[in-house]
Amino acid sequence: MDLDGGGVVTPGELLGNSLTLAAGRGAYADGRSVRASVTGHRRIVPPAPGSSDQRSTVEVVGHKAHGAVPQPGSVVIARVTKVMARMASADIMCVDSKAIKEKFTGMIRQQDVRATEIDKVDMYQSYRPGDIVRAVVLSLGDARAYYLSTVKNELGVVSAQSIAGGTLVPISWTEMQCDLTGQIEQRKVAKVE
Amino acid sequence: MSAQAATGTYSPAAAAGDKRRERREELRRHLAEDADWPRADGRSFHDCRPAFMQTGPTTAASGSAYAEFGKTKVIVSVFGPRESKKAMMYSDVGRLNCNVSYTTFATPVRGQGADNKEYSSMLHKALEGAVMLHTFPKTTVDVFALVLESGGSDLPIIISCASLALADAGIMMYDLVTSVSVSCFGKNIIIDPTSDEEAWQDGSLVVAFMPARKEITQLTLTGEWSDSRITNAVELCMDACSKLSDILRDRLKDTATLTSE
Repeated sequence: MDLDGGGVVTPGELLGNSLTLAAGRGAYADGRSVRASVTGHRRIVPPAPGSSDQRSTVEVVGHKAHGAVPQPGSVVIARVTKVMARMASADIMCVDSKAIKEKFTGMIRQQDVRATEIDKVDMYQSYRPGDIVRAVVLSLGDARAYYLSTVKNELGVVSAQSIAGGTLVPISWTEMQCDLTGQIEQRKVAKVE
Repeated sequence: MSAQAATGTYSPAAAAGDKRRERREELRRHLAEDADWPRADGRSFHDCRPAFMQTGPTTAASGSAYAEFGKTKVIVSVFGPRESKKAMMYSDVGRLNCNVSYTTFATPVRGQGADNKEYSSMLHKALEGAVMLHTFPKTTVDVFALVLESGGSDLPIIISCASLALADAGIMMYDLVTSVSVSCFGKNIIIDPTSDEEAWQDGSLVVAFMPARKEITQLTLTGEWSDSRITNAVELCMDACSKLSDILRDRLKDTATLTSE
């Protein structure tokens, strides 16, 4: 990767011809021309060896981009706010390890809690309000919330407090133990490496 | 004097309105003539007011911009992309929410500072074609414009300032949008009118333009115009928009180099 003179470009500025350049992040192709869509430094990335497309890719990087927005497939960290019989709602706090500025609401439905025996899931035995959950965004969901899923070993509760106020320590993939009272509580626990 | 005070009557000085009337008459006389008369602020017909623009006055917002064209002062803040209101329907593309409001002290006559619905929708129309709405599905970008002082050509300045604020916020756009208005006086076209000139115009034209792509996003025409003059005026606006966009790009590049250092 080489910085192309460190030139700063602004939205709409011409970056090159689409016959010789492909549009990467922060750029778009408009007919024959490739233009910038954000303000930033222009960078040219040579094509990957062996790829069918022999054009270099031009990117616009470096300047502040807008805050992260959850996309289907991104891993998010969320705090559970409400647990109902068929779903739990959660506020998304991080998207792909980036903290987000604005609040987004997510929803974990009963069928998206775990992979096995999905019809026997008890939401109250999986999540509690206040739990910090790692989940993956399934889809953009409905008008209200993003649909989240914890159907994977490494997804689920990563941090939680017990009823007594102590920290819960995972002891199996369905149970966590309070470090003050030793009481065991049910959760869908994430396997953290 | 004391007798007048006792009866409680009063009469206005006979000359009170004269000065204003005189100024209006003078303006009218000028309009009737064809000559390139100096405008109230010393500009010629095709001179724009000096533009001062800056990014980042509102630190709480994702992006913001301030613009000052003569007496017109505008501040625009951009928030988001953030979650759409619950009442909204689901949508695959993002939403652009625009709101234009005036301060109570924006006009010589103290106003209500109410939202300007007409300008809000016109700002939305001018910008929506330039913003890549598909890059933030289901979410909303809020654009709040506040007119601190209204000195003429408010809407075009709001549009240009808003596009600078959107670029400052890092919202993906096809191009910057700049906007310039012209007023038509008899046979003459004058660019970037002040409020006084707007009050006496025969017609007006507002063009919002994407200079790099050479596309018009919005065109508003009011009043009496002839075909040939419309063409003339549109070309004049487009040229002014291109020059205004150079100022916007310079401002963006200033801030971009500053942040990278």
